[in-house]
Amino acid sequence: MAIVVRMPEIATGSAEAAIASWLVAVGDDVSEGQEIVEIETEKATVEYSAEQSGVVAGILLDAGSSATVGTPIVVLATGGQSADDALAEAGVGSEAAAAPEAPSPPESAQEESAPVPSDEAPAPSTPPMNEPDAGLALTVPEAPGGERLFASPLVRKLARERGIDLTRIHGTGPNGRIVRRDIDGSQAAPATAAATVETPAASTTRTETRDEPTRSPDAATDYIDVPHTGMRRAIARRLTESKSTVPHFYLVAECRMDDLLALRKQINSIEGIQISVNDFIVKAVAGALRDVPDANAIWTDDATRRFTGIDISVAVSIPGGLLTPVVRGVEKLSLGQLGETIRDLATRAREGRLKQHELEGGSFSVSNLGMYGTSEFSAILNPPQAGILAVGAAEPRPVVQEDGSLGIATVMTVTLSADHRVLDGALAAEWLAAFTKRIEHPMSILV
Amino acid sequence: MPERRKLDTGVPWLELDTTDDDWRAADPALLATMLGEIQLIRSFEETVLDLAGAGLVHGPAHSSIGQEGGAVGSIVGLRSSDAVNGSHRGHHQFLAKAITHVAGGRLDLGELVTDDLQAMLQRTLAEILGLAQGFSGGRGGSMHLQWLEAGALGTNAIVGGGAPLAGGNGWAQKFAGTDDVSVNYFGDGSSQIGSVLESMNLAATWKTPLLFFIENNLYAVSTHAREASADPRFSVRAQGFSIPAWRVDGMNPLAVHLATREAVDLMRAGEGPAVIEAEVYRFFHQNGPFPGSAFGYRTKDEEKTWRVRDPLVLMGQKMQELGYATEAEIAAVKDQAKQAMADAVRALVEDDPEREGKRRIIPALWPDTNWVDTGIRSDASELEGLSAVEPTEAGGEWRDVKFVDAVAQVMDRRMELDERIVVLGEDVHNLGGGTNGATKGLAEKYGPQRVVGTPISENAFFGFATGAALDGRIRPVVEFMYPDFMWVAADQVFNQAGKARHMFGNNNDVPLVLRTKVAMGSGYGSQHLMDPAGIFATAPGWRIVAASNAADYVGLMNAALALEDPVLVIEHMMQYGSADRVPADDLDYIIPPGSAAVRRTGSEVTVLTYLKMVEHTLEAIEQTGIDAEVVDLRWLDRASIDWATIESSIMKTNAVVIVEQGSRGPSYGAWLADEIQRRCFDWLDQPVARVTGGEASPSISKVLERAAIAGTEEVVAGLEAVRAAWGGN
Repeated sequence: MAIVVRMPEIATGSAEAAIASWLVAVGDDVSEGQEIVEIETEKATVEYSAEQSGVVAGILLDAGSSATVGTPIVVLATGGQSADDALAEAGVGSEAAAAPEAPSPPESAQEESAPVPSDEAPAPSTPPMNEPDAGLALTVPEAPGGERLFASPLVRKLARERGIDLTRIHGTGPNGRIVRRDIDGSQAAPATAAATVETPAASTTRTETRDEPTRSPDAATDYIDVPHTGMRRAIARRLTESKSTVPHFYLVAECRMDDLLALRKQINSIEGIQISVNDFIVKAVAGALRDVPDANAIWTDDATRRFTGIDISVAVSIPGGLLTPVVRGVEKLSLGQLGETIRDLATRAREGRLKQHELEGGSFSVSNLGMYGTSEFSAILNPPQAGILAVGAAEPRPVVQEDGSLGIATVMTVTLSADHRVLDGALAAEWLAAFTKRIEHPMSILV
Repeated sequence: MPERRKLDTGVPWLELDTTDDDWRAADPALLATMLGEIQLIRSFEETVLDLAGAGLVHGPAHSSIGQEGGAVGSIVGLRSSDAVNGSHRGHHQFLAKAITHVAGGRLDLGELVTDDLQAMLQRTLAEILGLAQGFSGGRGGSMHLQWLEAGALGTNAIVGGGAPLAGGNGWAQKFAGTDDVSVNYFGDGSSQIGSVLESMNLAATWKTPLLFFIENNLYAVSTHAREASADPRFSVRAQGFSIPAWRVDGMNPLAVHLATREAVDLMRAGEGPAVIEAEVYRFFHQNGPFPGSAFGYRTKDEEKTWRVRDPLVLMGQKMQELGYATEAEIAAVKDQAKQAMADAVRALVEDDPEREGKRRIIPALWPDTNWVDTGIRSDASELEGLSAVEPTEAGGEWRDVKFVDAVAQVMDRRMELDERIVVLGEDVHNLGGGTNGATKGLAEKYGPQRVVGTPISENAFFGFATGAALDGRIRPVVEFMYPDFMWVAADQVFNQAGKARHMFGNNNDVPLVLRTKVAMGSGYGSQHLMDPAGIFATAPGWRIVAASNAADYVGLMNAALALEDPVLVIEHMMQYGSADRVPADDLDYIIPPGSAAVRRTGSEVTVLTYLKMVEHTLEAIEQTGIDAEVVDLRWLDRASIDWATIESSIMKTNAVVIVEQGSRGPSYGAWLADEIQRRCFDWLDQPVARVTGGEASPSISKVLERAAIAGTEEVVAGLEAVRAAWGGN
């Protein structure tokens, strides 16, 4: 029997993923649970394991290529079956196995339900396993509801380059096909595409490079086009969506830091312990969420989802972008454990070794630019989370002391961005007060 | 009672046999050489059969064992500059010519195999085995043996296909002022086919020094000569074409030699062609190591009666009778030949280390498979140094001219400067420049040697032209009055001219121009109105040009005449009368391969077209107001098409329509659309669109003809369909 392994849905709701590298080759024996392929999503690289044992009969998607979730990527032969038989059974020829079948045009009745923009796109469905061919043709995104989406070859290429979500485009070509005119102006086209179109070379079709910067054609207009990475596109898409669809509001507080810094100095004087200010802040966020449990929530279409555990995302800057790994159960971690966890996640984020599940979930984020000397800033919510705390630098500032006199204290400004659908002003203010209180009474963070 | 008189052709048809006096009079060195050649061929053929039995000969091994006397007797007296070609059963002819060349016409029986001879035997065997060191790098194999230096033009696997080619070679020999001759070997099976009979007619008419040598071995595979023809004495054909003929016992090499000497003397004297029919017998079946009787179409008794007439045995007996050699000396000849073949085999074949008791080709000797598609056409380096000019950009004065006069004028200019150029075709010498005036003034200026009116036999005169082009001393310009006539010449056009360079290992230039005219709109009906571009575009070896104006025609024809490839030059009857212009002072520039012309720049759709449809396309664009870019392809074949211009236009417009006039089946655009969807897939916003005629070939009726072909209105419809597929509504 042939086993068809399909592109898994690594990240919830992800429509597409790419093969980073194959860990097996045609002819290799594979045992159940063995890691066979590294799959790269927009944010992470995942080692994917075989669910059944067999012999690799054919690899259908080369390393570096991407495909929609559900597309067959490898066929395993079992029970002494030959590779050719396994491929045949899987509906894949032994040569040109990945060549898409020509799709038949939709019946006219289906044209009526051709892709319409929708904010309620459910996760794309995975083609059922008993239809071996179903995934092969799907190198284009599926429309909401899993219907085949028709787009011209040019449009597919441009959509890749510009990061355009074709499920949101209405096709006006024959049979509802999305054609060039449908996407012209739908999103600011990066200069890369425009420049290539205007100065075509005979070889461009075959040797077009996606990774090399494109220089401006003459000295008068001095720019360099850096082609988008998947991560860049993901950041652009998610944050654009967040800023334009989530009602943000902002609350600012100043925290006196002298006691916390003193405590930190005291703790760090113990041999082998190294706690950062940020560790205290994350821990204080967790404490505030425990103090104001109603704030530990996110918006979903049907309900406000309140969490019992406290999972907090920490923004980590990496070359070319930003990742937000999640620290789970922060309320249960000691400061030392928390610090170690954050440092481990940050290290692996920079090395590209985070697992997809480490990037998912959480109700709240912390973004800290204090180390750059930024006094204060506001952050964009990391969907679907309802809060993000933007942390500025702790710096000496003039303050009015309890006795009314002017003095100098170390002050840190934090800005809470909140999703008004979940957090009203009073609730957000209550949470911010709880956070400030924890920071200014740092022993409360330790207990 | 009507009076009846017996008619006579007035040309001899003779049977020739030897007497004892002839044997005594024969030069002992000639007899020794014939014995040595027959023995070498026999041992060679036995070796081939042995290797075929071991599965080492890929494809058929057509043995000539039993027939060596005819080839050796006729070739032993030829010069190296005389030429031969033959058919699928051609090892013996090739070897006889090659041995005669290497040995200078004389073999020493005491030292039969010199180093040069050994090397030739090995190269020939290597070619038959398909190996890199063969004469054609292993591409030709058993049925396509060529060694130009020895005067072996190349054997042919199409029955009768070699006759026009040998005729062309003889034509070139005569044109060059030599008294060399060409010999075409063919069999009883080929004696019925049109290309042989057409060639006999043409050679007789033109007095071409061509010997038609019929090896009548009685069987075409298993079909007996009596089943194929009412009179199986095939030399009788010569009577019908006024060619002198000899009938001779082919198992007697001396008889063949004497007959050939008589025939060749006439040919060298300028008397034209001759026919020799030699009765021979192949001891084995069509191919492989078994006798014909094993397949039931002839008896063992019949084979026995021929076996006793074995030419090898006969030569041995005569040499002993005449006291020229002892039995031991003759046995030593055989031993030397066998040893030579054993040495040749040892250089090519080894024991198979993986299969006990089996042999294999030494793996390193196979050709490099990267070679598979090289040398299909010339590399066009012959155009270097010529003046490549875009006429509209040259900036010089213009001169008004009718299109058809430009056709004649550029040919005149080239004929003036290159004496090798010869124009031939039906009526090209009469009617004031052929049926359309395209050769106007040439016959008067260059005479009947260089402007040659042909009989209506396209296969022969095109084949003669191909043979002459392969020789190179003539650069022929053939006219097919209508493109559809290519079908009657199809073997010579596609199997021979198109494939020759590649098949023989890129050892041969094929400088040949074929002119023809698309005549859609003329009312000539279903069998005259095709556009040949699509068919020629599928044929390897050919280049194709089509000009939309007279100035382009000049540059394209000049390039075609300079190239060492067969080039189809397509004209259009409706262009001929149109007022056009050419550069006033220059008829010498070329427009090289890979130069399409953008006739109109535009942003919305790319139109790829050629010939007369360029004009219709520009009209259609005006009517639709669509901002189309029009690419006039000019060079149409795979090797010469201008992908840089096509691709950059499609990248700009993202839509393409291919416009041509003729019917859809044999249309040109099919292969182009296929290439475009692969090369430009990511740049296409809609399917590759096409404008063509209908499926049927255009009819005589004026309205049906118009309905069957594409014109301005059809291009408008095609552009509107492209516009509809833009979407945006």
